[in-house]
Amino acid sequence: MEIIIEEISHGHKLLSRHKFAPKNITIGRGYDNDIIISDPHVCAEHLQVHFNGEHWLVDDQGSINGSFLENSEDNVIQHQVRSGDIITIGKSQVRFVFPNHPVSESIAISPFESLINLARHPVVVALSMVLFAFIGGWIINLNNANEVTLTQMLVPTIGLTLGFTLWPAGIALVSHLTKHDARFWTQMGISFIFFNLMWLSDIFENIVHFNTSSNSSMLWLLAIIPLLLAFCLFWLNCYVGFHMTLRRRNVVASSLVLLLFGGSFIIQMSKQPDFNPRPRFDTTIMSPVFLFAPSSDVETFVSDASKLFEKVTKSAEDEANKE
Amino acid sequence: MKAIFALLLMCFSTLSSATEQAEEIFKQLAPSLYQIRLIDKASGEKSSIGSGFQISSDGLIATNYHVISGFARHPHKYTIEYLDNKGHKAALTLKSVDVINDLAIVQRDVSKPMPFFEIAKKAPTKGEELYSLGNPHDLGMIVVPGTYNGLKNESFNDRIHFTGSVNSGMSGGPVVNKNTEVVGINVATSGNQIGFLVPHDKLHALYLEYKQNPPKSIEQQMAAQLMRNQEKLITTILNSEWQLKQLGRGLIPTIDVPFVRCWGESNSDKTDAQIMAAVANCDLDENTYISSDFFTGSLEMEYRYMESDKIGSTKFYHIFERQLNQVAPGNLAGKDDVTDYQCHHDLVMPQTSNINNKAVFCTRAYKDFPALYDVLYIAISVDHEQYALLSHFTISGVAQETSLAFLAKFMESVSWK
Repeated sequence: MEIIIEEISHGHKLLSRHKFAPKNITIGRGYDNDIIISDPHVCAEHLQVHFNGEHWLVDDQGSINGSFLENSEDNVIQHQVRSGDIITIGKSQVRFVFPNHPVSESIAISPFESLINLARHPVVVALSMVLFAFIGGWIINLNNANEVTLTQMLVPTIGLTLGFTLWPAGIALVSHLTKHDARFWTQMGISFIFFNLMWLSDIFENIVHFNTSSNSSMLWLLAIIPLLLAFCLFWLNCYVGFHMTLRRRNVVASSLVLLLFGGSFIIQMSKQPDFNPRPRFDTTIMSPVFLFAPSSDVETFVSDASKLFEKVTKSAEDEANKE
Repeated sequence: MKAIFALLLMCFSTLSSATEQAEEIFKQLAPSLYQIRLIDKASGEKSSIGSGFQISSDGLIATNYHVISGFARHPHKYTIEYLDNKGHKAALTLKSVDVINDLAIVQRDVSKPMPFFEIAKKAPTKGEELYSLGNPHDLGMIVVPGTYNGLKNESFNDRIHFTGSVNSGMSGGPVVNKNTEVVGINVATSGNQIGFLVPHDKLHALYLEYKQNPPKSIEQQMAAQLMRNQEKLITTILNSEWQLKQLGRGLIPTIDVPFVRCWGESNSDKTDAQIMAAVANCDLDENTYISSDFFTGSLEMEYRYMESDKIGSTKFYHIFERQLNQVAPGNLAGKDDVTDYQCHHDLVMPQTSNINNKAVFCTRAYKDFPALYDVLYIAISVDHEQYALLSHFTISGVAQETSLAFLAKFMESVSWK
């Protein structure tokens, strides 16, 4: 009967795996052991595993810090091993598995995979980065009231693009550090495709705001678009960078969205003054090229405006009642 | 030689007679002149001072509304007291105000009938010598001679233009003619030797109204006065001729009444500017003081034309968009006075004209004066790629109906040429 002994980290990540046929296996810090663990809290001769013809039995060899079955405080003496048992020795852990231990079902390669592979194609990465830089430069130019030359625009544009590469680079680094595949170019491709989608959704949002009056009530739907895009981006970042369950990926992506948008929402709310002497309204103005909606006439506008008086009168009364 | 001597003597005698007259007037009237002080209850110190004068034998004293406005707005925070020429102090009660003409009537306790100022029966003649009395900068009562120069042209509510130094602290003091009749009340100054007075008939009217029908509450009285005044003002404006003037390729309305004055500016001298801009604005030359941080009764109109063939349409409108963010109300008002603004925006094209605007209308309500609002309108034309016209107005202290009538007329008056 063979046994497989895995050395695992505290997060149950696999560090090394050994398969043994002999009936006697020793584990300890000494070099004469079958499995050598370089943990100073482990004794030279720490643990022995023995096959008695029917069962595998584990025995602590009188170590200083003892050997414990997970979730138990008793030192293991003549413990009969079941497949999947985890035993803590010193500050390390080992897991025992029999060859017939069941494995989880295999995961089919998702159809995303081909899209994701497309995203890391050098041409796609280059194109999306150039598009990003182009839109970024255009916006920098729009926000500058003075005339802007190409060379003046170059530095902030490159700076902006480099700044945004920090996100995929950061994720790739974290994947690498957590013993996952870094997949830097895939992260780059995906991130920049989504950054561009976000620019586009921004422009779309502006066009809709420009074309609608404050009578339209569906505008909150527009605010969901960036949330959805951000969720998709974080979800894919997780998918590419880490092995995690679907549920966990959803939770991580949602939490990141919440952190990003909730955080900026809270910051905005905290800046809100108690009383604002200035009016606040939708200021979106665009070139007539983007104007598609029909205009109202003065009569409609005046009658819509008259409804405001009821609103402010009511809020004045409410505040008077509060006092 | 004799003749010259006689002439000199005559000059001297008229000179001395003018000073004597001023002295005489002052001596005679001093017991009926007061310094009016607003005392902050918590600190026990005076928070503002002005002048006042007695107008009846039973102790009614006239002053400016703005001298006692702190008390009118926050009766629990202040008390009003007077200081007479003998140095006596005692409390006063607020009886009636005219917030539009900046007048107030307060009362002191009297044990026996007292001398008082007579209010003139008719207006002075232009060039007539007048004497302004008051207590500038807490320096003690003084008399300042000056000249009557008729009514100020540019004001909707009559003000006398007085050539003489009216200083702060003289507010609420009387201005009398040679017969010691009150012809006006000190109210404001506009720098060197230019002062403004409230005409005597406004005080006379307020006094008569008080005698016949004293107000039940000062706040309600003020609300009614503000309501009446805005009605009168906006009706006058709506019934006046609206002249269309050209600004760039646009036509903008200006109102042909003396109390609305217009100014203009452009950057046409800067040939290298990316955007050619021309601005015209018209405003009412006065407003109504309610408290030191709350004004109303203002009216402003502003037009801004921008044109550029140097930058793209998208950038042009992007720059224009920022001007929308700079919109501010025309009057000062705080959290205790008004609500936050509520706004409505839409694309609007008046049927009678050829301009397509993105238009925004905002309003906020007054908390203490029911049915009065501040309104604000701003529109930017969005129908041409390389030029656009911004039209904007703010009116403070208006009723719903009058402001909407103004809005409709204003929107229909702005157009392309």
